[in-house]
Amino acid sequence: MISLLRKMRKTGRVAEPAPEPAAGDTVPAAAELGGSVQIRHIDAGSCNGCEVEIASAFGPVYDAERYGARLVASPRHADALLVTGPVTRNMEVALRRTHEAVPEPRLVIALGDCARDCGVFAGAYGVAGAVKDVLPVDAEVPGCPPKPEAIVEALRGLTGR
Amino acid sequence: MNAAGASLLSALGLCLVSALAGATAPRRVRPLLAGLGTACAGAAAAAAGVAALAGQSWSAWLPGVLPLAGARLALDPLGGMFVAVTGAVAVCAAVYGIGYAKHGVDGRVTQATLPLFLGAMLLVPVAASVSTLLVAWELMAVTSLLLVLAEHARRPAVAEAGLWYAVMTHLGFAAIVAGMAGFAAGAAGESFEQLRAATLSPAVRDAVFVATLAGFASKAGIVPLHVWLARAHPEAPSPVSALMSAAMVNMGVYGIVRVGLDLLRGGPSWWWLVVLAMGALSALFGILQAAVASDLKRLLGYSTTENMGLVLIGVGAAGFFASCGDKELAGLALVAALLHVVNHAGFKTLLFLAAGSVLRATGTRDLDALGGLRGRMPYTTALFAVGALAASALPPGNGFVSEWLLLQSLIHALPTSGVAGAVTMPPAVGVIALSAGLAIATFVKAFGVGFLARARTPAAGRAAESPPTMICGMALAAACCVALALAPAAVLPALSHLVAVLLPGHEAVGGVVTLRLADVQGTMSPLLIAAALAVAAALLLGSVRLVARRARRPARLWDCGAGPMTPRMEYTATSFAEPLQRVFDNVLAPESDLAVTPTKESAYLVESIHYRARIPDRIERRLYDPVLAAAASIGRGATRLANGSIHRYLAYGFYALTGVLLVLAVVW
Repeated sequence: MISLLRKMRKTGRVAEPAPEPAAGDTVPAAAELGGSVQIRHIDAGSCNGCEVEIASAFGPVYDAERYGARLVASPRHADALLVTGPVTRNMEVALRRTHEAVPEPRLVIALGDCARDCGVFAGAYGVAGAVKDVLPVDAEVPGCPPKPEAIVEALRGLTGR
Repeated sequence: MNAAGASLLSALGLCLVSALAGATAPRRVRPLLAGLGTACAGAAAAAAGVAALAGQSWSAWLPGVLPLAGARLALDPLGGMFVAVTGAVAVCAAVYGIGYAKHGVDGRVTQATLPLFLGAMLLVPVAASVSTLLVAWELMAVTSLLLVLAEHARRPAVAEAGLWYAVMTHLGFAAIVAGMAGFAAGAAGESFEQLRAATLSPAVRDAVFVATLAGFASKAGIVPLHVWLARAHPEAPSPVSALMSAAMVNMGVYGIVRVGLDLLRGGPSWWWLVVLAMGALSALFGILQAAVASDLKRLLGYSTTENMGLVLIGVGAAGFFASCGDKELAGLALVAALLHVVNHAGFKTLLFLAAGSVLRATGTRDLDALGGLRGRMPYTTALFAVGALAASALPPGNGFVSEWLLLQSLIHALPTSGVAGAVTMPPAVGVIALSAGLAIATFVKAFGVGFLARARTPAAGRAAESPPTMICGMALAAACCVALALAPAAVLPALSHLVAVLLPGHEAVGGVVTLRLADVQGTMSPLLIAAALAVAAALLLGSVRLVARRARRPARLWDCGAGPMTPRMEYTATSFAEPLQRVFDNVLAPESDLAVTPTKESAYLVESIHYRARIPDRIERRLYDPVLAAAASIGRGATRLANGSIHRYLAYGFYALTGVLLVLAVVW
């Protein structure tokens, strides 16, 4: 406990200063959420590269939570789904059910090239399609994997902060 | 003869008539006749008790009924309260029993014994001499034993429970006989008036009190004499369980109050501190065992031990305050204890009857095999919920009122009761608070796991609602609980008056809508609390309706996108209680064994795993098992004395006779 406190004192604040919000990139459907977006992440068949970048986007350096975005543990608590990877056949039904479980208004973010258009997995036998083939997508983040800065910027587009 | 006496005698007469009907009527109408007769007897007894509480007293001497001394009966307010409670419980149980009897308990012996059991229970509080009390007590023990054994042909556990009960109740009886005989020997006679007038030496008084306390406490299921209760109450047919758990155990409390506070006129403070300590131990141990029990009726049995413990805390505190000279607090504590007796009788009747309804519908008492009864047995579920709320001592249940009164009397003890009070009362308050908290966990478990969610076994899934007579019996008990919860002022003045007679003083609790304590700062209004809760719930629902503008949308139960979910994934009673069991690991000492059987071909391949976990009654394990083992080994050793040789037996006779003659020749 003491060593943890000492570590905290020694490390200090590592978060990068907040960049100016990019203008014009906001999602109109997110306006009703009032700047607080609870996010449930779903791996629909990702290689886990995107997950590493999401982890750093919500880590101490990029600290996406200061803009009002938060990862939650259940779709019942969520406003938005953050989907990574191409939608594999095994995950298609689960993805639909998860979307069904989110209370309205609900948003879907397709994160990474695979989620946007199947990326290198396009046409593979186990892939059912991109996220937009299964669910209505509200926001997309390009990149393979997308940089944490890009993820944070897309989330700021939802929260409007 | 006044109304009280007339209705008491008609109740006893009705008991005999129903016993006769139970013994002779054909099987088809037997439960109906015996049940109706018993219910009428119960109603008459309740009327007699209420009349006695209202101030009518009645006494009779029937010289021909018992040899030598005759039977002496007297109905006073204290006895009247217990007669009224017993009668009311009997009405519910008898009406319920009409429908329940088809469940295999419509035999002649059972149907004839039940009214006799009621009659014996009515005789105990009206007995006014030692011999009458002892005869009624033994009659009550024997008839209840017969009823416990009613289903012995179906389950082997019944016989074992019956054996435990028979031994424990007779050990208790022996203690009471010893105590009362010693008391009567020191007095001018054996009637209660003569006992009251007796002047005994302090040592004799101590011995009388300790002996009778042991006997009466064993009947009340007080730790460490409770081991029979958690066995016998679950194995008895459910109406009998209700009668035993809600009415018979009260007789133990009656005995302690009658002998300690009435006949002996109070005593030194250590008597009452012992009573209080036994009560505190029972309250904690009982509710802990109930919290981890997964057999529904065993859980209720342990809850009886807890509630009798709470009552004894009140009785002990009352005696202790009286010995300190604080009559006002003593009166308050005794009123609280007696009110808890009444409340406990109400909700325990309801809970045992509802448990019997579940047992009849599903064939099991195991909470881990129940669940999903809400849709299939809506009335039983709703009635059990009322009982569970009452038993958790939360407002607006009736258990809350008496526990609140009890806490008030203990909390206000500090300034007056000296060092002993300052040391004992705060832990007693803590015990009551802890047992109330554990009771909530226990009854959330019993109701949530037993009735809600989905059925865990096909048997629970096929359950059907009970017949109207059974629901009627339960509904009567539930109505009593609700009435006691909302308007305790209906019974409190009578109880205050009875206590004011017993411990001379003025009435401890007054008020109609708001209860006002006479001698300490304290007011509480159960009716207003219930109204406030109802208004708060209505406001909450209304505001949610107002705020939620979006239309409702039916959605699939969230199963992590997989599914379907099975009843195997539900919380069971065991898993619900597991955190509690972990916290109280040192007290409960749970046992588990794991047996892994490998396949023949390789020791690394597992064929089967058997896991068995149980929480034995630790007091039974530590206190009773060694005694039983010693008795068994002595018995085995004694077989060497009786080896079947007739010569040896003749020699025993010869040596015994000459030995006695020698002793007589020397001593005489």
